[in-house]
Amino acid sequence: MIQVENLAKHFTVRNPQKGSFGLLKNFVSRDSKILKAVDDVTFKISRGEIVGYLGPNGAGKSTTIKMLTGLLVPTSGHLEVNGFVPWKSRQTYVSRIGAVFGQRSTLWWDLPVIESLELLQFIYKIPSATFKHNLEHFTKILGLDEFLNSPARSLSLGQRMRADLCAALLHNPDLLFLDEPTIGLDVVAKERIREFILHINATRETTVVLTTHDLADVQKLCKRAMIIDHGKLLFDGALETLQTRFGGMRQLVVDFAESYAALEVEGAKLVSRDGNRAVYAFSREHLSASELIRRLSERFGIQDISVLEPDIEATIRLIYERNLLGVA
Amino acid sequence: MTYRAATIAGLTTNVFFGLLRASVLLALLNGQSSNGWNSSDAVTYVVLTQAIMMFVSIFGWTDLMNAVYRGEIATDLLRPMSLFGFWFAQDVGRAMAALLLRGVTILVISSLIFQIKIPSSFTQILALLLSMMLALTISFAIRFIYNLAAFWSPDARGFARFASVIGTFASGFLMPLRFFPDWVQQVLNFTPFPHVMNTIIEIYVGSFSGSGLLEALLVQTLWAVLLVILANAILARASKRLVILGG
Amino acid sequence: MVDLKHQLELYRRLLGAQLRSQMQYRVGFILDLISTMLFTLTEFGAFVLVFQRFPSIGGWKLEEVAFLYGMVEFSFGVMDMIFAGFDPPAFAQHVRKGTLDQFLLRPSSLLVQVFGSDFTLRRIGRIVLAIGILVYAITANDIVWNLEKILFFPFVVLGMILFFGGLFMVGATITFWTVESTEAMNIFTYGGSYLMSYPMNIYSDWLRKFFTFVVPAIFLNYYPALFFLEKPDPFLMPYFVHFLAPVVGFLIFFLSVQFWKFGLTHYQSTGN
Repeated sequence: MIQVENLAKHFTVRNPQKGSFGLLKNFVSRDSKILKAVDDVTFKISRGEIVGYLGPNGAGKSTTIKMLTGLLVPTSGHLEVNGFVPWKSRQTYVSRIGAVFGQRSTLWWDLPVIESLELLQFIYKIPSATFKHNLEHFTKILGLDEFLNSPARSLSLGQRMRADLCAALLHNPDLLFLDEPTIGLDVVAKERIREFILHINATRETTVVLTTHDLADVQKLCKRAMIIDHGKLLFDGALETLQTRFGGMRQLVVDFAESYAALEVEGAKLVSRDGNRAVYAFSREHLSASELIRRLSERFGIQDISVLEPDIEATIRLIYERNLLGVA
Repeated sequence: MTYRAATIAGLTTNVFFGLLRASVLLALLNGQSSNGWNSSDAVTYVVLTQAIMMFVSIFGWTDLMNAVYRGEIATDLLRPMSLFGFWFAQDVGRAMAALLLRGVTILVISSLIFQIKIPSSFTQILALLLSMMLALTISFAIRFIYNLAAFWSPDARGFARFASVIGTFASGFLMPLRFFPDWVQQVLNFTPFPHVMNTIIEIYVGSFSGSGLLEALLVQTLWAVLLVILANAILARASKRLVILGG
Repeated sequence: MVDLKHQLELYRRLLGAQLRSQMQYRVGFILDLISTMLFTLTEFGAFVLVFQRFPSIGGWKLEEVAFLYGMVEFSFGVMDMIFAGFDPPAFAQHVRKGTLDQFLLRPSSLLVQVFGSDFTLRRIGRIVLAIGILVYAITANDIVWNLEKILFFPFVVLGMILFFGGLFMVGATITFWTVESTEAMNIFTYGGSYLMSYPMNIYSDWLRKFFTFVVPAIFLNYYPALFFLEKPDPFLMPYFVHFLAPVVGFLIFFLSVQFWKFGLTHYQSTGN
């Protein structure tokens, strides 16, 4: 479905000239540097997969998505989706994909949702029967009927996201791009969106590429994860591998009352110590936080304690900074 | 870099419009004088209006109503300070920046292109500065009042546009009030708008002297006081309304 | 061919969506309508009031200037309504907020979508007043309408609409590089319309030459007006320049579309 080989996107960033003739110098100056937003990335995604595309802000996620959706032209490398080179045949290509960007809506702000959907029916040239069938189906599982006749501006974030998902899928795309689909939503709304994505993937074999900051999205939806940072693909494989190797570890930060010589404790790994402060890593499956605290307090005097939940951002940072994957 | 490019773009546009407006007035005067103004007065008028239009926000201002619509004003009202004073202080800062950064530059650039008058006496310069401060106060009070419409109506932006269109005409920004028929000038003198721009210009080109100057400043002061009182009275009503509606 | 029909129908539907959206803000719409009317009224009114003290401007009488002013105001008003999606500050918002990306993700012509993204019906106020001024000018000037003049008239309006529309597109295209300096385009759009509202002989030589040979604004309104009002040409240009308006308008528009395409390629290689 998606084939990416040695894909790269470099931006030229100008160094602004300072001083009184700075503006003039800017016009003639060649003083600029190359920013490698995406640097030599290779991967393949097959039909029906749900892939989590992860990385911190500015890592190259959205640049990749923009190239995959045909919004950006790559600097070099090979990119083929569904037999198309996205940016070369934009109109034909985008009629086969769907995209939802969590931060912005495709709906007409002041129009009732249904009118936006009808406009999209026309734009995508969706046959009436297909439109009717899909609309009924999505209305039922997404519960759209409560706001189908309300203008988009009056929808809550969760309602808007449900309407946007419907809008992105009306034309039966083979491929769906989701950029932060659960951002800003409450737990219930998030769960509803995730259920829906799973349902679409299962019933229609729609391939889904998903970027998110929410680890729960990934855990619930993806079997496979790709991690990008500084434009380089650091990890591409099963989510389980990632979690057992690096993630899923909670951290316990302990401030001891005094300085102890040996701080090792059974079931948790001593990650670091600095003066009277020590950090332990432990996994939820093997040990509860209260049990670990009990074990520690039996042996040591404790002043303060805090638990850090595993967070994809931190895990990825860790992977990058410590070069755990052995990639430069 | 982009900021400076924008500044240069703004300056060029400003000077260019000055050039066009001056061409029209010079062609009308055709080397003659009219109602006491000659070509040099007319050109000075154009340059000066171009230089202070940002200072007195001749095209209007909607920051306050935007804050009302975003619901930020409720928290401001809880603070132990005058909302009018708070926004006025900000506007004075904005106006001073506009005057010193843009206004002065426009004056300097324009003086290279046009032969403009320079105020001669110390009294005149003093009166000019005073008049500008009063004009800013009047302009701000007017803008503050129509921004307060946001407490009552969701369409305050419409009022703002309305007011700024009237303002450009009645303050003497579109054409010198002096060239209007006498009856129009008399009608406009019953409104505060001429004191937003026209009074400054008349003082600058030296139309007033002695008691005339004093009178002009006195009338301007009266309008400033009146409008500030009015603005605060409406603000008090607006705050009450906000309390009743619960933000 | 089928696709052209589809795009035209899409434009119609997008306009419908725009109008339905705007009609939801009735009070605001009426206020805006009055404001745009008032804008033209005060601008031209100020000129008329001042004119009472003077015999003429550059040898032109009030009703003759009214013809120049009415033509520009009408054409600009119509253009402003149709090309509202390209209005540089509005378009900069599309770029900044990512609406442009949303357009690109839809299987439709980008131009049609931008055209259909806004339609400022409130400009009707300005257009109606401009028609009023034009009617006054045409009656007061006693224009003798022969076949030539009747046929040429709509082409002059079309030329100006294309000219100003092209300038809007250039301004919009510049936002692909920077969303900060769109103000400079005002020189050409609003400055151009102001400049064209008065007889060209009132401007200094270099200014007029700039708007003859660099930006050929002089051919769009001034020369056609000389033709309609049967006034002599003070610059003694060849006679055919009286009829260049539609050609110049079309040329500027064509070049603007090319620039737009170039800008889009740039946007797709750099993002924003």
